[in-house]
Amino acid sequence: MTIAARAAGSPEGTPSGVPPALELRGVGKSFDGRPALVDAGFSLAWGEVHAIVGENGAGKSTLMNVAAGVYAADQGEQAIDGVAASPRSPMEATAAGLGMVHQHFRLVESFTVAENVLLSLGRRGAVRSVAQASAAVAAKAAEIGLPVDPARIVSDLSTAERQRAEIVRVLLLGARILVLDEPTAVLTEEEAKALLSFVRRLAGQGHAVVLITHKYREVAGFCDRITIMRHGRTVLAGAAVSGLDEAEVARLMVGETLATGGRPASIAGAVSLAVSDLTLAAGPHGQGLSSIGLELRAGEVLGMAGVGGNGQEELVSCLIGLTRPQSGTILLAGRDVTEASPRERRRAGLRVIPSDRFDSGLIRDFAIADNLALSRVSEGAFGGPLFLRRARMRQAAAEAIDAFDIRGATPARQTGLLSGGNAQKVLLARELDATMKVLVAHSPSRGLDMKATQFVRTAIRRAVEAGAACLLISEDLQEVLSLSHRVAVMNRGAVAGCREIGEVSPEWIGALLAGHA
Amino acid sequence: MLDTAFLVRRQAPGPWLSSLCYAGGLTFGLAVSAALLVQAGVPAGALADEFLIATFLTSDGLAQTVTAALPLVLVGLASAVAMRVRFWNIGVEGQLWLGAVASTWIGIGGTGPDVLRLPAMLLLAAAVGAAWIAIPLVLKLRFGVSEVISTLLLGSVAFLLVQHLLFGAWRDPATGFPVTAAFGEAARFGSLGWGQLHGGLFVVLIVAALIWFVLEQTRIGFYADAVGLNPKAARAAGLPVSATVVGLVLLSGALSGLAGMTIVAGTEHRLNQSVGSGYLFSAIVIAYLARARPFWVVVVALALGAVFTAGSVLKVFYGISEGMIVLVQGTVLISILMSQFFSTYSLSRPG
Repeated sequence: MTIAARAAGSPEGTPSGVPPALELRGVGKSFDGRPALVDAGFSLAWGEVHAIVGENGAGKSTLMNVAAGVYAADQGEQAIDGVAASPRSPMEATAAGLGMVHQHFRLVESFTVAENVLLSLGRRGAVRSVAQASAAVAAKAAEIGLPVDPARIVSDLSTAERQRAEIVRVLLLGARILVLDEPTAVLTEEEAKALLSFVRRLAGQGHAVVLITHKYREVAGFCDRITIMRHGRTVLAGAAVSGLDEAEVARLMVGETLATGGRPASIAGAVSLAVSDLTLAAGPHGQGLSSIGLELRAGEVLGMAGVGGNGQEELVSCLIGLTRPQSGTILLAGRDVTEASPRERRRAGLRVIPSDRFDSGLIRDFAIADNLALSRVSEGAFGGPLFLRRARMRQAAAEAIDAFDIRGATPARQTGLLSGGNAQKVLLARELDATMKVLVAHSPSRGLDMKATQFVRTAIRRAVEAGAACLLISEDLQEVLSLSHRVAVMNRGAVAGCREIGEVSPEWIGALLAGHA
Repeated sequence: MLDTAFLVRRQAPGPWLSSLCYAGGLTFGLAVSAALLVQAGVPAGALADEFLIATFLTSDGLAQTVTAALPLVLVGLASAVAMRVRFWNIGVEGQLWLGAVASTWIGIGGTGPDVLRLPAMLLLAAAVGAAWIAIPLVLKLRFGVSEVISTLLLGSVAFLLVQHLLFGAWRDPATGFPVTAAFGEAARFGSLGWGQLHGGLFVVLIVAALIWFVLEQTRIGFYADAVGLNPKAARAAGLPVSATVVGLVLLSGALSGLAGMTIVAGTEHRLNQSVGSGYLFSAIVIAYLARARPFWVVVVALALGAVFTAGSVLKVFYGISEGMIVLVQGTVLISILMSQFFSTYSLSRPG
């Protein structure tokens, strides 16, 4: 798509007199006292594709969730098509003309596409049977040129097909403003191109589209205007894309570089973790791994960059021992642990910070003391086989809470009630112990605020300086670059390349991330 | 309007709020039951008599309540132990039947020295109960078969086996009825000289104390909770997940088997077609109300034993039908379960 093609939209906003499709002003929203949005706002014109970009946790999704009625804003004004509206539910928002397609689709898996549409339409409108819903879906799909088969069951659909079904559903509900939350993150290159071309067509037909993304290529190729968010604020609202270059966008997104204190000041020692030829077949919803090889030394951080969904989860799962790879070997401190259980690997010195801390790290409904003791009870740290010394567990927990400054925590409090940063500290307090040899940290600061992020990175740095080896898997490029001694890039289940930090250039990473090399 | 209100999960319901909710639920259930019973012809003045005095405050009533509670404690524990690792044992009755069959086999056969008769029956009943639940356990672990279906269906298989025996090889030769011959003295729990109460009381007390100790004082209870709440995190943290599940599920089957043994050796002294019926639902209700905590299982089992006793009194003296008794029991239980819901959630209107 060229600049000329984009000019067909209305890059400079709506002509005066016509109200904007969506207007957000001074929007503020806090979660648990932590501000997620501060004085955020932008204006969306009819007939344009508007990009909202920003780093993870910048507030892009939160802002659009406010517009779509998922969250209620604490402050601010909202108007849809010139009419003041603060929708209290997604239903109200779609009724007012704004529909959002989330990263996790809101479809009933065991229903067909038509049944899902019928379910959402409820008692409204003329569609009251599956046959009518099918006809409506087929008609809408033809009208907007998006292939969707109303008769198929959602669980049989590919991710791209589900996404198309979701888009048609939202449009059938009456949305003329379409919000897409990182729609291409789950798509292949080809599928992403098809979707973005469709989005342009839709804008050409007079709809307004908001595209949440963090890929500059999508902004430059398919969007008219751009709003950049950082730490909950809109630092640039509604600028024409043609007036900006990639460096400027990146600078506005990242802002002042976070003072991380640099990478660990330690020299690489003996090999702590050696993975060779690790291969895993792709599952129905999972990426496979193809012949992964890496070597990690004591006192070293190996950063693994890559867009999410390129095999990072699967790699971590194979390293922990929750998934059995088809082939390959894993050596932990010289010992072959390929066939070892998670327990034996832990004994050999493996520690893990998983990307979703409540999935394979912490138990949400457990007391904080219990989570802190989870891996040590079986080692006899809290009494022999007969008696479990709960008092000792509570005391150890109280000490860890002090040492790691876990706010809002008492040993008996339920872990799920902690904020993200403090829950992460519970996990760190448990994993970063004296017998750790290898730390696998997957997106360790995802979703955390600046202070918690600093804390996590400092903890990792200290552990590595004390002689641990760290495999840092992260989508946050800045995190990888600032902490690592060596950088590898993961793409489609394989290690696309690996270099010393001194030889890493943005072009090299960019090419590998995009899968060009 | 209901569709403009939200259910909000209470973050940490305090003990006062919880007790208040439970008390409210119990009161509501008893009030509705009283109304039902009065409508069915029980004089209002006699209700308190039958419900409280006849079940707890008279010697006979209390003995009857405790006797009825013995197998209920065991099946309640069986259900609770499996519930802790999120294994839905809907086959408590099947394992109970098998335990009863195994102890009957020793009981009527009179094998072995007299002194070892009861211990042998206990051991075999527990072993057979565990073996019966091992089938759905293996099916689940190896092939992912839902235990809800397999345990339930194996319960029916067990009952058919009992019928096969009672109408065949084990039919009472004296009367020709489909019941076994009575056990010899050595195969019966001795009477404690208080109502129908028998020596099985000691077995149940020891077993309950052991289960309480294992689940509340040793690391096994800790493992069980971790595995039940998040098996993936438990495995990643190096906990023996499979061993915990296998151990506790087999224990659940063994406890059900023991329940079968205490019934045939304690009160019936023979195997008949009714010794196991009704225990499945009681087991689930007890474990659920007790939140799978062994101490509370004993308390709730006693309360349910009282309800059963009151039920039989009402049946005998006022000619209240069996259906009405079940309705009353159901009313009380569902009220308490509803109150559990309200102690966990609050209703709020958007604003």
